[in-house]
Amino acid sequence: MNLLECKELEKSYGNKKVLDKINLTIPRGKIVGLLGKNGTGKSTLIKIINDLLTASDGKVLVNGKEIGIESKKVISYLPERTCLDKTMTVDKVIKYYEEFYENFDAEKARKLLADLQLDTTQKLSKMSKGMQEKVQLVLVMSRSAELYILDEPLGGVDPATRDYILDTILSNFNEGASVIISTHLISDIERILDEVIFIDGGKIVLTADCDELRNRENGSIDEIFRRMFKC
Amino acid sequence: MLRKLLKYDLENIFKFLIIFYSIGLFFALLTRVFFSIENSLVCNIIAEICSGTAISMIFSVLINNLMRLWVRFKNHFYSDEAYLTHTLPISKSTLYLSKIITAVITVFSSVGVIGLTLFVAYYSKENIELLKSIILPIADAYESNITTILLAFLLVLFVEFAVILQAGFTGIILGHRMNSMKTGFSILYGFIAYICTQVFAIMVIFIISLFNEGVMNLFVTNSMVDINIIKTVICLSISIYSIIFFIMCFINIKLFKKGVNVD
Repeated sequence: MNLLECKELEKSYGNKKVLDKINLTIPRGKIVGLLGKNGTGKSTLIKIINDLLTASDGKVLVNGKEIGIESKKVISYLPERTCLDKTMTVDKVIKYYEEFYENFDAEKARKLLADLQLDTTQKLSKMSKGMQEKVQLVLVMSRSAELYILDEPLGGVDPATRDYILDTILSNFNEGASVIISTHLISDIERILDEVIFIDGGKIVLTADCDELRNRENGSIDEIFRRMFKC
Repeated sequence: MLRKLLKYDLENIFKFLIIFYSIGLFFALLTRVFFSIENSLVCNIIAEICSGTAISMIFSVLINNLMRLWVRFKNHFYSDEAYLTHTLPISKSTLYLSKIITAVITVFSSVGVIGLTLFVAYYSKENIELLKSIILPIADAYESNITTILLAFLLVLFVEFAVILQAGFTGIILGHRMNSMKTGFSILYGFIAYICTQVFAIMVIFIISLFNEGVMNLFVTNSMVDINIIKTVICLSISIYSIIFFIMCFINIKLFKKGVNVD
């Protein structure tokens, strides 16, 4: 059984189709890059998978079941914006995650936060946006999930920390779990990807294994992306 | 899971309400202290100012309670925090119920604090006599006692308040199904939902009046209506509002289960 399946998925806003008959399968144990220009439907697709948007048509199946409580137990999602209650301290947020997610490892979270030299007694409202994003990433990666969905994980982070974040992602997801990373900072994440999905105009235009694609097109994923989507 | 959600929801609402509770009680206490000092114009002026502030705090508690519940509902389900709320492994109905139970508990506590504020500021034999003299003619006219009249009045107010809250939630849910101007549509739909509940309540009473001449007199005459009819209408109103509350709760959960569209 595939970990994630999207069948004929559509999303429209009035007459505007944002996703158009998306068919997608994510197997276990892969790091998949969901790549596309801004406004091509990456975040919309991710939001539908996470029950934040209602699809106009089609189905999303996680472990063969439709989105619901069971799918939310196995999906660990990093949104592109800060979703935590900013009046809370980091310690309190850790407690919150511990209470609601059975697969959350508080010790692991504290260790990762200490590595990033983040003070857990500090309120989120007193932290910079970058620091808040790091806290969020740590919380997401401290869950023993089957599918990690990371929407722009490097967006608000300085280049020096990006490598640390990518290493954190690589070293913290379970064997047999998969990761979907949506980003347009392709050159930064290229080294960790197994597969790529190119999305444009709400349609999947390419799905490929990274090594095969590099050999076939004779270039890096970043170069291939630039060539394909040249304005 | 409901208990855990309630813990955080109640904490979030009370965190702010306690400030208003404290200020209200503080000024109520000052009012009492300064009114107790006799023959001092300055103390009397200060007492009047404190009294005014305590009364304004009573209104602030009610308005703040209502607004905070709506804002919390919107932030939790449709703003940035929604990205966490909707990805928690909790059913949509549990999420909604947590908000409703929080609303009922906080409204009860606010009413309690308001009562306590009034008691601290104004309790005295003379004031109780004054209150009695105001309510007693009404109670006598309807062959009832003061406590029953006050309780019935408070109960009607409470269920009415609960329906207003639910109408607000309905408005937010429906408004956020639109693609644009979500806040504007939320207010509009909330208002429409509230008007619908009022029309429904009057319609039910009118239908009952078709079979009860006494109740019909409410619609067709200005003269004093029989006490038994008034009692019937009060009981009917409380029942109808309670039924509307549960129907709205059911509809809102159904709407909520259909899915959300978070920006």
